[in-house]
Amino acid sequence: MGHDTAEWVFVAIVIAVLCYVGVDSWIVQKAVEDVPANAEVIKVTGQQWYWSFEHADGTKEISTLHVKKGHAYVFEIYSRDVMHSFNIPDWVVFEDAVPGHVNHAWFAPDTVGTYPIQCREYCGLLHYNMRGSLVVEDDNAT
Amino acid sequence: MKTLIAISIITIVALALVPQLYFAHAQLAQQTSEKQYINLRAEVWNEFFRMTTAAFTVGAIVSGTMIWLVWRFRESNPKNKNPTKWEHLEDPTAGSYEDEGGH
Repeated sequence: MGHDTAEWVFVAIVIAVLCYVGVDSWIVQKAVEDVPANAEVIKVTGQQWYWSFEHADGTKEISTLHVKKGHAYVFEIYSRDVMHSFNIPDWVVFEDAVPGHVNHAWFAPDTVGTYPIQCREYCGLLHYNMRGSLVVEDDNAT
Repeated sequence: MKTLIAISIITIVALALVPQLYFAHAQLAQQTSEKQYINLRAEVWNEFFRMTTAAFTVGAIVSGTMIWLVWRFRESNPKNKNPTKWEHLEDPTAGSYEDEGGH
């Protein structure tokens, strides 16, 4: 095997691995961002220094969000004042709340429980206390 | 040398394939369950581990090549006892790989 062959094998392997990285990441990103068609919309509004929620049926909640296990939800994320970031660490929901702009994130909880919600963008004096709770309830409980 | 290259390529392919087979099997198992939606956490972590595999594969190729270069072209290597054709030339840049005769 000549030097040229060895070099081309080296280059080909590295290019193949990088192509794999790009294509695989693209596929996964598409799958993760693909919101299920039947997802229920929940409007999430961040303002100094609490979260408020509005369900599709008009029900409003402050700081504590109740959802049903096994259902998909898509968040429409708004901000009334400054930049916030809506984060539910346990369910990989993490999206900025930007004044004048709507961001989206979705999730489908499959485990009943109470999970923390927190602001992940420094938004002022009480940022540290801009927390909430996500309560995932069994669909048959009510 | 050819055996070494063959073993290296087989190892690299195995490194890339084994996690793929594992994840494909896990995904098939998930499809047969009653889950309606993809698990975002699982997707993100699976992707992380696949990317880690790719990163280590590239790292192994690059560092392996550098180790081989240092080993092969060290001064004490018996193969380097005689000067190459380039070193005979007045202008070393005028030489080429082909002149080496597959050295």
